[in-house]
Amino acid sequence: MTLSRRGFIKVGGAAMTLPLLGGTAFGQAEKLKIGFIYVGSINDNGYNYAHNQGRLYVEENLGDAVETMFVENVPEGPDCERVVRELAQQGCKLIFATSFGFGDSVIKVAPEFPDVAFEHATGYMKADNVGLYNARFYEGRAVCGVIAGHMSKTAKAGYIGSFPIPEVVMGINSFVLAARQVNPEFTITPVYISTWNDPAKEADAARAMIDQGIDIVAQHTDGPAALQVAAERGIVGGFGQGADMSAFAPDTQLTAIIDHWGPHYLASAKAVIEGTWVPGDTWEGLKEDVVQMGPYNAKVPADVVTAAEAMRTGQIDGSVHIFTGPINDHTGTERVAAGVTMTDAELLSMDWYVEGVIPPA
Amino acid sequence: MMRFRLEKRPEPSKLMLYGTPVAAVVLTMILGCLLFSAIGYNGLRAVQEIFFTPLTNPYKWQDLGIKAAPLIIIGTGLSVAYRANVWNIGAEGQYIIGALAATSIALLTWGMSGWWILPLMAIAGMLGGMAYASIPAFLKTRLNVNEILTSLMLTYASVQLIYYLIRGPWKDPMGIGFPQSRLFSEAARLPNIIPGTIVHLGVPIAVIVALIAWFVMSKTVFGYRMRVVGAAPHAARYGGFSENKTIWLAMLVSGGLAGLAGMLEVAGPFQRMVPGFPTNYGFTAIIVAFLGRLNPLGVIVAGVVLAITFVGGQVAQTTIGLPDEATGIFQAMMLFLLLAGDILVRYRIRRISPEASAGAA
Repeated sequence: MTLSRRGFIKVGGAAMTLPLLGGTAFGQAEKLKIGFIYVGSINDNGYNYAHNQGRLYVEENLGDAVETMFVENVPEGPDCERVVRELAQQGCKLIFATSFGFGDSVIKVAPEFPDVAFEHATGYMKADNVGLYNARFYEGRAVCGVIAGHMSKTAKAGYIGSFPIPEVVMGINSFVLAARQVNPEFTITPVYISTWNDPAKEADAARAMIDQGIDIVAQHTDGPAALQVAAERGIVGGFGQGADMSAFAPDTQLTAIIDHWGPHYLASAKAVIEGTWVPGDTWEGLKEDVVQMGPYNAKVPADVVTAAEAMRTGQIDGSVHIFTGPINDHTGTERVAAGVTMTDAELLSMDWYVEGVIPPA
Repeated sequence: MMRFRLEKRPEPSKLMLYGTPVAAVVLTMILGCLLFSAIGYNGLRAVQEIFFTPLTNPYKWQDLGIKAAPLIIIGTGLSVAYRANVWNIGAEGQYIIGALAATSIALLTWGMSGWWILPLMAIAGMLGGMAYASIPAFLKTRLNVNEILTSLMLTYASVQLIYYLIRGPWKDPMGIGFPQSRLFSEAARLPNIIPGTIVHLGVPIAVIVALIAWFVMSKTVFGYRMRVVGAAPHAARYGGFSENKTIWLAMLVSGGLAGLAGMLEVAGPFQRMVPGFPTNYGFTAIIVAFLGRLNPLGVIVAGVVLAITFVGGQVAQTTIGLPDEATGIFQAMMLFLLLAGDILVRYRIRRISPEASAGAA
């Protein structure tokens, strides 16, 4: 990191001090500038860390052909708008906005910079120069769910969510569907903390749910705080989210969902360099290696590992889709008929919980 | 051995009064430069990017304007209250309630048009902020509860109120489950005053508010009353100024202005209520009020200085990879140095000769 920063200063220093007014006018042809906007810290060891790894992956693979910059801890609101503009004015021709709540800002600013390619992660609004990209995190959730179903003694898991958006709801549903295939008594209690990244809130939520008798914790927030609480309280375990978090809870992380954005970022960067970029709408998962599973913990029994691997490889070869009916909602009403698989459009607008979820008040 | 003693000045030093804020800013730059050099960044570039780029790059002026506006409005209200020794620390909460009150008008009039909607929102915003500030005022005047604690803690309650409203009654029907209000109609959005920029009506309003406050504080009986109560409470009591009435006035003015800032922010940059609405303007404005020497004219300058550090902090992230936390460190250093420097306003440092000190001991 430090090395690349220093190099950055040497190379970019002279050009940067030029007034930014004329910045876009020269020096563009040889180097593609790419900007990344993160909602949290690159040191969160989770979601934002994973995006930043993707940025480094592009640097490693394209070397001098690109120059990347990033802004971290950007609030989802007008501040993001300013950061998008800032990056565009700095001469970035490809900008990745990596959080759901950046959508409004990207859509607002993109028309001002028609020659800049924007990509928004996990969003739903496209435009002429705004593409979307996402990962099938729910596939990883299903693998975690299998392990939870086997290993939980109380058959109760807690799930720390940020906001009840389809992305998160889908993950909860996938987790509980997989767990209930193993143990039909399995239930899950989601808690929403209204932020992607607040270690104190994540930890508090984990503590409260453990007090209520859960022995597995999963989270759709950015950091390892919940896992650390799980380790401290000695419950069965939890899962890494975004990145391998085993360093924070070596005996507690059962496995992790690892976001591997690098290949996608690399492909987009190449497309912009070659002039072939068009706003895409990608949604890749285990099969494309955009979602990876972390190592299984030593305490996960061999038969459970086998079951989890079956879920993983089944989703890769296409023989398993976790959202295949019959699926009932949390009130017991059938929502998906036997043998029918939900479409991507249905998944991306999912606003109901499956059976086994105890909806938050 | 050389020894020093702090000696009370017969009257506060004018030079120091206006000199220390400037010195605090300059010292912050010097210490910041040394600090960030020591940990491996280009300290000079850091200071340059944070404090000067936002001023030298015309693209950034609009950002300074919209970032400074709420700080100036809230800071003006706080400076009035602090002058009277009323320590309203909960401007953030009053700002939020003001914004929620304004949002309620925007949603009630959704789809309507008319010039009266924005003024009505402004009135609602101010009343909302005043109402929320009246809780600590009531507790202070009736039960003598410390307003620092009550106003601060009410801030956290107000954040929960946002979450409740946007998850339930105000949830955007188009938001695919994301907890946010719907986008305001055109008539409930602040107009841009300079075409082609993002500068909205709130920016000139901020300056006008500060100018009016300056006039009121320096030229009217109300201002005299606030200053006397703060500077000499006993004399004020003899003079017939009721302490309770002053507390009420101070809280209502600071709460009302914070509420107005909330309305301008939600109707301007946000244009809808989102969970990320609270961005600590209410807390940053405390720094602004003190840096501005509790003088509304000073608050204008201080608001711009703080806006510079925010905007510049983001520039420094993209150009030299300075971490986001650096902005907070610079701001905290500024407040610390200012408060530390304040002692020089009322005291002077005297060298005492060894003999005299020996005699004294």
